[in-house]
Amino acid sequence: MEQFQGELIDRVFDRGICVKCGACVGLCPYFRYFDGIVAVMDRCVAGTGRCVQVCPRAGYKSTAPQENATDGNGIGIYRSVFKARASVDTLHEGVQYGGVVTALLAYGIENSFFGGAIVTDREGALAPSGMLAESVTDIARCAGSRYSAAGSLAVFNKAIKDGKGNLAVVGLPCQMEALERMKHSIPDGAQRESAVSLRIGIFCTWALDYRMLKDFLRANGVTGAVKKYDIPPPPSEKFVVFTEQGRREFPLMEIRGLVQKGCSLCRDMTAEHADISIGTVEGEEQWNTVVLRTEKGEAFFEEALNKNIVEKAQLPDQNLNHLSTASRNKRKRGKNAELELSREG
Amino acid sequence: MNELFEIKGGDERLLQGNEAIARGALEAGVRFCAGYPGNPSSEILETLAEAAKELPIYAEWSINEKVALEAAAAASFAGLRAIVSMKQNGVNVVSDFLTNLTLSGTGGGLVLVTCDDPGGISSTNEEDARLFAKLSDVPLLEPATPQEALEMTKWAFELSERIKNIVILRSVSRLSHTRANVLLGSIPPYENRAFFDTKSPFHTFPVLTKHLGRHRKLDEAMAHYEGSSFSRYDGPERAEMLVISSGSSWNYAAEAVEILGLTERIGVLKLGMTWPLPVNILRRYLKYSERIFFVEELDPFVEEGVKALCAELASEVGIKEFYGRSSGHIPICGELSPSVILGVLGDIFSISWRAEEYRARMKSLLPQPSPPREFGFCPGCPHRGTYYAIKEALAWDGRNGFVSGDIGCYSMGIWPTGFSQVKSVHAMGSGVGLASGYGKLGQFGFDQPVITVCGDSTFFHAAITALINARFNNSDILLLVLDNSATAMTGFQPHPGTGSTAMGEKVEPVDIETVCRSLGVGVEVGDPYDMEHTAETIYRLMQEAGQRVLILKRKCALVQGRQGGFPYTMRVDQQKCLGEDCGCGRYCTRIFRCPGLIWDSSVKKARIDEVICVGCGICASACPSEAIIRQQKAPN
Repeated sequence: MEQFQGELIDRVFDRGICVKCGACVGLCPYFRYFDGIVAVMDRCVAGTGRCVQVCPRAGYKSTAPQENATDGNGIGIYRSVFKARASVDTLHEGVQYGGVVTALLAYGIENSFFGGAIVTDREGALAPSGMLAESVTDIARCAGSRYSAAGSLAVFNKAIKDGKGNLAVVGLPCQMEALERMKHSIPDGAQRESAVSLRIGIFCTWALDYRMLKDFLRANGVTGAVKKYDIPPPPSEKFVVFTEQGRREFPLMEIRGLVQKGCSLCRDMTAEHADISIGTVEGEEQWNTVVLRTEKGEAFFEEALNKNIVEKAQLPDQNLNHLSTASRNKRKRGKNAELELSREG
Repeated sequence: MNELFEIKGGDERLLQGNEAIARGALEAGVRFCAGYPGNPSSEILETLAEAAKELPIYAEWSINEKVALEAAAAASFAGLRAIVSMKQNGVNVVSDFLTNLTLSGTGGGLVLVTCDDPGGISSTNEEDARLFAKLSDVPLLEPATPQEALEMTKWAFELSERIKNIVILRSVSRLSHTRANVLLGSIPPYENRAFFDTKSPFHTFPVLTKHLGRHRKLDEAMAHYEGSSFSRYDGPERAEMLVISSGSSWNYAAEAVEILGLTERIGVLKLGMTWPLPVNILRRYLKYSERIFFVEELDPFVEEGVKALCAELASEVGIKEFYGRSSGHIPICGELSPSVILGVLGDIFSISWRAEEYRARMKSLLPQPSPPREFGFCPGCPHRGTYYAIKEALAWDGRNGFVSGDIGCYSMGIWPTGFSQVKSVHAMGSGVGLASGYGKLGQFGFDQPVITVCGDSTFFHAAITALINARFNNSDILLLVLDNSATAMTGFQPHPGTGSTAMGEKVEPVDIETVCRSLGVGVEVGDPYDMEHTAETIYRLMQEAGQRVLILKRKCALVQGRQGGFPYTMRVDQQKCLGEDCGCGRYCTRIFRCPGLIWDSSVKKARIDEVICVGCGICASACPSEAIIRQQKAPN
């Protein structure tokens, strides 16, 4: 594939399959994440474009070597999988479910396991966007899910530009994939990779197109910034929005139409390129599912466990089977969508 | 005292055509002068405004051409001689009043000068304003030289008073901006006796009677003209061809005939009045030849009139063969030049006139042709920041939005210097009127955001009515007033917002922000140099409905340059500059494109052109690698 911006525009932007991971943003002036979209600002002519190399959609295919190796389980290579929750609910207004991500990040920053964490801030006048959290207060502020990638890797790129290192990166599967692609990108991928201390991936079925969501909410009388979004685990089939005015519920069916087109191509539900992947547990609202994938992830989680920051328990087989089935189904859907797209040309 | 305004005449001065017109008006005893700037007309009123500082006359830059003529007509109604000047587009603006004024008639001599711009060199259109003379039943004069411009202007006032109607004097760029020695006459003594005689009102009723009266006056004008010395014929009584020309193109015809050695074979007739056509003069010279060649700028105005006359007089003047625009000998548009006429006559008479040897030698001496250049905003121009911010906001918005543009330097937003954001440009104020229309298209499925822009002078000229229209009809409109405190494109003439008049009088400026607020539309003010913040503001305003005005205030860079200059010395850190690499891709010289930035192809890095860069500093915030460095200039 030609490594030019034009290729990225043809393959991703013109097809409307950008997932707003933000990996192409912040490297140059040609892309910007703004109010929920990644905008192409101008045409670039530089070759060896890092933008096209890191994009999780430019090549369509998952980079996952895991995919073929572990097609049986659907959740990629891992060392252990269990359920966990934060031991102390100190911070943690706004956390989703077991609060494990927030607890791990706060612990990691407080004890200088990493200097900062790339997370997603809440929305204000504009869409949620990435943030470099450098304190427990920052972490607490960003707790909770946005159901959107929010271009947060743009902030990662900027942090590296600003000379920051030793970063934890929290992201959706597409963002973990982008980091994986970055590792192999030329000319400076390896160097950029060295700034990443820990990759925490969030399970994702799909993410929402923020602007479509905003229009939908506005049409339904919800104006102003949303404090928290929630999709309670099956079988609730609900999308819940918390605002200054209170709580609103919408049937999940209505929300599905707001899913980003690019998400349909995704084959990775459990963030297979993370060190630690974290999601919900079906039917158990106080817990998270945790997948430890790498030695690094395992070591860090063990520390937090020993310090009693989080507690763990066995994930029932039934839950693991469901997760596995759901993940395999996502792979299938992704493959089919890819075929369809290649037919579109 | 400026020697151009000397009372006593008798000396020769080197005058520009427009100065000669102004001097002619002074020699006619003009008291009231008005206009709206626009190339190639601006120097007429500028000269008269200078004169007004020394002589007991009045001059103003009016808010637009129509008001200029109305104001000048008031002076005429009160018995004073008055002049208005404008470019061809201005005559369109004037036309509503003009076509009524012609029925009411005038008092003191009233002359409208239109300076047409053949080739559209500094215009949004190419237009022959002479047609308005025919439309309005008004005499039309076309001087050919600066000397004649002076004489004819003076004479136009006499004619106006004789027929009690306005007279149009038409110049073109090449006359307005040429210079020649001109013999000055004297300026008559002034006396103050302005008076509106209520027994002789000025109105258009009864319309038919007045209309009939105008046609009679045209006959009178023709007779008066035929007694003047503004016609000229050079050539034999039996000619192989008769050239009929008017205005500055007469010079091209005369020159071409001489260069080709055809003075004994071709006759050249110069007409000073082209509406109404001087029938008796034409009747005489049409008999001189069977072949008629028309040489005039822009439309076949004389050509069509003479052809009609030839049909009428066929039994008397015989059957003719015509050469001109409809025969294809003269291009249907574009400016004439001696070589165009040489080409036509050379072909017809089979005379080679191109000195090939000379051309070859010239080519060999010139190492290479001058590099192609594109239109561009000046270094330091606030419009660059504005369009950069617009570009950003439109990209962030992502709904295929665009800019409805208007007339001024910022029209150049259609080109890369303004990041090609402007997608329509027409007449003054039209961008805002169009936006008012787009703002009602939502009901038909139109969902593209539109940003309209206009300058401060344009805001007053014609945009304000369109904005009120949007307010009245509740159209969704986002207007950016690019307030650079100047009528910059035409040469910094004052306007209602600048705080001084044509004659240098200090006045309270009309504040655009206050005007907009009084209309009940949303108003914000921003700084176009703060591109990021401005882009965010534009984006936010784009998401809102209703009428929104954002005033982007920054002095025109040329004004700022004269009033204290700019704060920074700029340089490019050669270590930090990424050049063509990923992360930059020559962003500053390829996208941002300020002429103060240059690409050094030998080292593949950007540099500052110290001669061009003024030090506004905005490129520093566009550089992706912070390689463009601002350094505060030492205070003087």
